Amino acid sequence: MTAAHRRAAALAALLWAAATAGVAWRTVRKVDQAARSREALVLSHAAQGRVPTPAWPGGLGARDAAAVRAEELPLVVRGTAGTVVTAPVKDADDWNVIGAVAVQARAGEWAVAVLFPVALALLAALITGFMAGLRHATRRRTVVGLDAALYGGAVVAVVAQLSRAVDGLAATGVVPPARARLALAPPSLGFAALVLGLVAAAGVLARWAIVWHAANADRPARVRETLGAWGLIAPSLAHLLVFTIAPVGFLFWISVHDWDLLASDRPFVGLKHFRAIGADPLFWRALRNGLVYALYVPATMGAALAAALVLDQPLRGIKVLRVVVFLPYVASTVAIALVWQWLLHRDFGLLNAMLAAVHLPRVDWLGNPATALPALMVVSAWGQLGYMMVVYLAGLQAIPVSLLEAARLDGASAWQRFRLVVLPMLRPVSVYLLLTGIIWSFHGFTLVYIMTEGGPAHATDVLVYRIYQTAWEFRRFDVAAAMSVVLCLVLLSLTALQWRTVKGEPADV
Amino acid sequence: MAALTVTHLVKRFTGGVIGVDDVSLTVHEGAFTALVGPSGCGKTTMLRMVAGLEEPTSGAVRIGARDVTWLPPRDRDVAMVFQNYALYPHLTVRENIAFPLTVRRTAAVEVTRRVRQAAELLDIDGLLDRKPAQLSGGQRQRAALARAIVREPALFLFDEPLSNLDAQVRAQTRAELVALHKRLGATILYVTHDQVEAMTMAQRVAVMALGRVLQEAPPMALYRDPASLGVARFIGSPSINTVAGRATGTRFEGALSCDTRVAPCADAVLAVRPEHLVLEPAMDAAAAVVTLVEPLGPESLVRVRLQGGEDLVARVAGEAAWRMGDAVGVRVVPGQGLCFRAADGARLA
Repeated sequence: MTAAHRRAAALAALLWAAATAGVAWRTVRKVDQAARSREALVLSHAAQGRVPTPAWPGGLGARDAAAVRAEELPLVVRGTAGTVVTAPVKDADDWNVIGAVAVQARAGEWAVAVLFPVALALLAALITGFMAGLRHATRRRTVVGLDAALYGGAVVAVVAQLSRAVDGLAATGVVPPARARLALAPPSLGFAALVLGLVAAAGVLARWAIVWHAANADRPARVRETLGAWGLIAPSLAHLLVFTIAPVGFLFWISVHDWDLLASDRPFVGLKHFRAIGADPLFWRALRNGLVYALYVPATMGAALAAALVLDQPLRGIKVLRVVVFLPYVASTVAIALVWQWLLHRDFGLLNAMLAAVHLPRVDWLGNPATALPALMVVSAWGQLGYMMVVYLAGLQAIPVSLLEAARLDGASAWQRFRLVVLPMLRPVSVYLLLTGIIWSFHGFTLVYIMTEGGPAHATDVLVYRIYQTAWEFRRFDVAAAMSVVLCLVLLSLTALQWRTVKGEPADV
Repeated sequence: MAALTVTHLVKRFTGGVIGVDDVSLTVHEGAFTALVGPSGCGKTTMLRMVAGLEEPTSGAVRIGARDVTWLPPRDRDVAMVFQNYALYPHLTVRENIAFPLTVRRTAAVEVTRRVRQAAELLDIDGLLDRKPAQLSGGQRQRAALARAIVREPALFLFDEPLSNLDAQVRAQTRAELVALHKRLGATILYVTHDQVEAMTMAQRVAVMALGRVLQEAPPMALYRDPASLGVARFIGSPSINTVAGRATGTRFEGALSCDTRVAPCADAVLAVRPEHLVLEPAMDAAAAVVTLVEPLGPESLVRVRLQGGEDLVARVAGEAAWRMGDAVGVRVVPGQGLCFRAADGARLA
């Protein structure tokens, strides 16, 4: 480890300390501001009444009490013990103001929150100074592990300190009644914790990079290659992190909180929303509908394979036919939905016109709970057939001709060749189609949204549509997030299952 | 086992390209015949028509007493070993070997017995539970062979089965195939572009070019006594030397001259095998300059350029006494010059 590396490591530790102290300082400032502004403190209406033992916080003079009584609103009061914010407490009849809750920032909290990380950073820099000779991977891991432990510990300590500062807001002055909830708008500690965590992760990563570079300093080609490789994947990695992993993480976060768009207060509620959807028969209905709906995937795969076998023949005009079968897949789903809505219409639909022509009764395909879901399945199958056929066609053409010829010479009949050679050789393709098809079917939203809106009588209410409705029509983003998590887990377990079946496949010979 | 008789077989592809042009060929019962020729000469098309994978335009294919020309492959009782082995990748070696039996609904006990027998014969009984992807090239080759012999067909067809193997394994497999043929007494038609394979393994070799069989004879007869210039050139490595000139009836006269009693021909070609050229200190023989010496260990190849610009190669025993740039005389071993008519390559009698 060279002096330059030591300096870089020390610099990284100090940068981390500065960033952490900065975030902590900013949050403390916000806590302080919250304690000094009356917008920050609102006693929820339900809590104002039914206060059994009203009291006036200490240090509040008679003039202040009179002002609180008169205003019946949170007030900023400069008393003997510094600036406090008061909120009135009314009697059980919700008539007279008989006391107040006061809130004040506790002095001294910020010093610990800010100084702590700086001290830790100095410690980390010192430890690095003593770690020499990083040739051994285990020793490198020790250094980075030590850093991770230090930084992680610092984040936990700072967050704990900040949360005490926030709690301090409510605790100062008169203890509010247990059932009275102080609606405070202190800075979101969750956000601060997230930023601190990211800063700590970046700090550990920087340390890891420095240590790695120190160990590989005499292998410039390797360093260059590794840096180049990471540089090349960095853009897509960043994209993945910001637009895929972060939103999914956010989704999980929302699903365990009460998440109201308008409320400033979004408390952690654990698995409450999951229990709620578990008890909701409509959720189970949607899940069951989704599973039934997904059955169109294997059915379509069978049809697509049959079509691919036919269209694999070297016949005249076969290419035109292939394009025709593929066409629905490139058409807009909305257009398909509208066209099929007309085709299936009870009074003006082509299908019913044909039924009528042969004196069969008309059917209200999309209006009848018994036929609506099957009708959607048919439309989906029609739309997916071309795609699946093209994939199967590619799969068929990837089977070496010599294998089929060998089977012919070995005495296999056409059916045996299909069953014993073609079908097993298509297995990876089939698994792929089944997996992506089922995932796609669980995501199928457009057809339901346009053709049936989940009806009639929830007959076509699938999970994604339920999630959409819960979020955007009922404004329950938290419940919708919980449903999304369930959907995500269902699909993940399906994927894991399929993955295990594919893994046993041998590589191509 | 049965004989294979091909009569007047023609394959004309769409577009008028002729793949096989009126070929007649007989492989006697228990015989090993190699079909050899440069790529595109029609040998594989020929094999595929015998197998039933390709329909002939005209002509007939008989296996034993049966006319199989229009029968599907599965009814011909032939087994084929492919260049890329064509093992079913999703099946184990055991299942691969058993495949021809299981599709014919052979009793399980019988299948087990015959698979074991074939596997033991080819020394792959330890690999039966592996997938083809887990085998080496030589092992795959054996598995493919085992699949071919397990049903005891009337005729074996080999389509360049050794070309995907590396040189060492190839040489070893050649010897094993010959031994296997002796043991099974099988009728074999073996297609290859490698004349070494054809010469070392087959009892008879048919040389094909441009869709026709030029000559069909035992390997050494082909080598010593080629019927045409094409055969003479294709068989033997390094290639036979040729010089243009004329045959007078008692002598060939050209850049290289020798006594030879053939019909007179004004426009003739003399062909001499490298081992039939003698190099000597430049005196009265045709004068040439050594351009390259290639020592191979037991022998050396000496490349020389005649004054007229013709390049020749001579094979000399042991280490060559010549160096690059030496002037040498080149002489043909008496009685070893082959004369052909230049116009059509036919052998002059």
